[in-house]
Amino acid sequence: MIEIHNLTKTFDKIKAVDEVSVTIKDNTVFGLIGTNGAGKSTVLRMICGVLKPDSGTVAVDNMPVYNNVEAKRKLFFIADEPYFFANANAGTMERYYSGIYEEFNKGEYYKYLESFNLDANRKIGTFSKGMKKQLALLLAVCAHTKYILCDETFDGLDPVMRQGIKSVFAKEMEERGLTPVIASHNLRELEDICDHVGLLHKGGVLLSKDLEDMKCNIQKVQCVFATVDEEMKALCGMEVLKKEQRGSLRTYTVRSTREEVTARFATVDTVFYEVLPLSLEEIFISETEVVGYDIKKIILG
Amino acid sequence: MTSRKSFWASSRENHKRRIWIWIVAVLAQLMAYVGVLTVYLSRINRWNREDRYKTPAAYKSALCQAAQDALGFQDNLVVIVVGLAIIIGMQGFSYLYDRKKVDLYHSVPVNRNKRFAVIYINGIIIYLTGNLVSLMIGVIVAAVQGAVSGPVMAVIGLGFIWNLLFFLAIYHISILAVMLTGNQFVGLGVAGTLIMYELVLYYLINSMQSAFFKTASGFYVPHVPKLSVLEDYFGNTLRMKHTGDVKELLQQLLPYYGKWFILAVVILAAAWVCYRKRPSEAAGQAMTYPVIGQIIKVAVVIPVSLGLGMWVHNAAYGSTVLTLASMIGSGVIVSAAAEVIFDFDIKSLLRHPVTSGIAVAGILFVFLIFRLDLFGYDMYLPNPDKLESIAVNVDYYGDFWNKDFDYVPANTFSEKHMFIKDMEPVLALADKARGVDTEDMKNPVAFNVLYRLKSGRKVGRCFSVDIADPDNVKYLDRIVGSQEFKNGTWQIVTDRESYDQVLEMSYSNGAAKVALPTADAQALRDAYLKDMEQYDFSMASTQRPCGQISFRFAGWMAHGLDVYESYENTIAYLKSQDAYYPVELNPEDIENIMITNYHYELSEQMNDRSVNAAASWNSYAAVAEYAYEEDLAVSENFYDQEQFAQILPVIYPSSMHYAMWHDPDELDRNYEVYITLKKDTTYPYERGSYGTYYKFYTGQVPEFVVQATAIKNGTE
Repeated sequence: MIEIHNLTKTFDKIKAVDEVSVTIKDNTVFGLIGTNGAGKSTVLRMICGVLKPDSGTVAVDNMPVYNNVEAKRKLFFIADEPYFFANANAGTMERYYSGIYEEFNKGEYYKYLESFNLDANRKIGTFSKGMKKQLALLLAVCAHTKYILCDETFDGLDPVMRQGIKSVFAKEMEERGLTPVIASHNLRELEDICDHVGLLHKGGVLLSKDLEDMKCNIQKVQCVFATVDEEMKALCGMEVLKKEQRGSLRTYTVRSTREEVTARFATVDTVFYEVLPLSLEEIFISETEVVGYDIKKIILG
Repeated sequence: MTSRKSFWASSRENHKRRIWIWIVAVLAQLMAYVGVLTVYLSRINRWNREDRYKTPAAYKSALCQAAQDALGFQDNLVVIVVGLAIIIGMQGFSYLYDRKKVDLYHSVPVNRNKRFAVIYINGIIIYLTGNLVSLMIGVIVAAVQGAVSGPVMAVIGLGFIWNLLFFLAIYHISILAVMLTGNQFVGLGVAGTLIMYELVLYYLINSMQSAFFKTASGFYVPHVPKLSVLEDYFGNTLRMKHTGDVKELLQQLLPYYGKWFILAVVILAAAWVCYRKRPSEAAGQAMTYPVIGQIIKVAVVIPVSLGLGMWVHNAAYGSTVLTLASMIGSGVIVSAAAEVIFDFDIKSLLRHPVTSGIAVAGILFVFLIFRLDLFGYDMYLPNPDKLESIAVNVDYYGDFWNKDFDYVPANTFSEKHMFIKDMEPVLALADKARGVDTEDMKNPVAFNVLYRLKSGRKVGRCFSVDIADPDNVKYLDRIVGSQEFKNGTWQIVTDRESYDQVLEMSYSNGAAKVALPTADAQALRDAYLKDMEQYDFSMASTQRPCGQISFRFAGWMAHGLDVYESYENTIAYLKSQDAYYPVELNPEDIENIMITNYHYELSEQMNDRSVNAAASWNSYAAVAEYAYEEDLAVSENFYDQEQFAQILPVIYPSSMHYAMWHDPDELDRNYEVYITLKKDTTYPYERGSYGTYYKFYTGQVPEFVVQATAIKNGTE
């Protein structure tokens, strides 16, 4: 488990990260969402021990990480622009990382390279941006660290590759309890990968929740009520996050379980009602609007 | 934890990425050592084929010297060593300048200390590999040629340590520069600043002292950097190269070895602390710590601006207004430039006005210290109670040597041998000189003085003494007549051993030159020293030397000593050898006398006119004046014995023209007298030699000579 407590980092009098507290549970895929400049990279670089926090703590499996080799053995950081040695090929990088990470699985690495159609002897300098990201991800996976910190690594990967990496992550999570932490500025990139999402904005955490909890606790209902009284009756005691109206068709986003909503609407007189599935984007819009932010401006805009 | 295995694994990994540095280090040093050695040896072999070496031993000695010069202390190496130290130091830690690299290296589970150690040690290995490979090949090449001996190998070994310690000092400075900066450009600038700073500072102080202080003197107490390894290397490599004896060489080297080692350790410790404290986010920024950036800015702006101002000072003939304006202007411009460099943004020109203001205030303050002599440099006079002894020098160009007959500068010799305890006359003359302009003196002589204080401090000053001032005679007699003054002014006084090794000895009165038996060197020395007891200012300023005795020692070291008419013991010895000839020649020995009057005073008047003409942009007139000046010299030959008789008593040998404590104007500079002696005379003159030139005593030129050499009608 990675525990971040009141983490603060300032660059040139600008607070990049302001009292961030997040807990990243083991064996989950943690998504760190935020706009450019929200502080995602800074948080990741503090988690992996590149940056020293001005205040606050980062503990990886209860170990402070800055200047701590033991803690760093559990981490692999893939920067937004991963660095590969000049004139290196995939084999060169394997030799470097296998010298550092004792559990680096060379056999698995070359097998993955073949599966992802990456030539081990080709100079990395000639790789496309996406190929470099794949290579970095494969190096990270094969280093067999408990945590992989990915900074915008999935952004721009084509769907096939995303699926491939997702499968590799799933396999590793199942086999050895891998915990990927994925930072992205694009909500849609994380939707199908993450179990838990933390939303960063202006250096602070707006929210941090399990995706399933979020999905289970927010429902979207489309309905046409027979009368206004019936509408009042249906919504009484229910937390309405959002309301839209088009003619007599009402769309409500409410904080409640699907079962509670279905049970409530079954008791009132409606011409029509339906509980609709919510996308991650919609959940975020609702959640952030509640705390006074316009998510469209923060992430989707 | 750092295991030995993982250390070498990391080291190997690091080396793989520094291959090009290896190649550069090896090639550069191969060229510097083996290339230079090959050139030296081939030149000696060519000379040997041309039979320049008289014996096989001389040839072998030349080969050994060449091997020693090329592989031991080679002054050309400074560029290679400094270059490699900077490249290796900065390249090794350059990952700290790149955020992408920092993200990789600082996120992987590698101990920070280990990473530093790996990169640091690999840097030394890279240098040493090239160094040792080159030296080994060089020694093999030298051995094949027979140019290797025990002492040669010892010198090569000492040279190896000399260069290694120098490399380490510069290498550590480069590493420190990386730790203080965030990008390569600024890093190089800071490295250069740290390496050169003290050197530049002292150069600046010297130039400002010379420009603004009348009594400034670096003769005894030269202002040289105390900590600059570059200055040490520049200033001493050549000296070490010419130190023949290995034991003596080691003695000279040890203080530098110790100093450089301590400096290297201190700088490395500073670099290490900065490395440990360095935040990763410094990558790509100008300075790791902005505060240090501002300190460096002020520290650089002040000397650079003062230096530029001094350049203007020289160019503007000492104009205070222009000097000050250029200094302050430079301060503002250089401060702005520093900000632009720090931020890589032209809009940052006026950032940090406070530190820019401090820099300008500093410039102003330093300038005023010198210009107004705020600390009373020129008024300095030591407290007699705190003074241990004094050394005085009035002749920069004395001939001094050590026991190996290598040249020793006059300041070194007199500092070692002159300890004047009767200090009152020196202080009285120094006191008289305070605030007096040299131009107000009739015959000023520069006194370089070393005050040795009881505290151990040494202070050097230079002041002028008017030797034509009768009031000064009593002081000058006490100084010049003292045994301490003589000890530090003439080597013959304190050095007896050298006179057992005289190779040639002779006496000359300007025209005659008579060889003396070298076996008598000690006897002549004893006679001369006895005569010197009478030497003081009054004696030396009222007599001109009647001749000179010359000694030549090993290594072409030679010197001449003035003989005066009152030196009875010396003259008695010379007479006993039939070597004494009066300074005045016998007319019967003379074939003819050619006298040339250069009419310098006239030509100087014309020069003034031509300068005025040039200044008034009348360039044609100026050219015409200069051309005319060429025709001013008028020569005339004299063959008449009567004329000889009038000329000979009033001329003096040009070879003894310069005499201590005499006004140069005692001899007339307009006339040159060239005496040709008869071929059949027994007079022991060197035919066609320089010694037959004479000068007239001022105001004693016979009228017929004046008439004969006057500018003739029609010439003008």
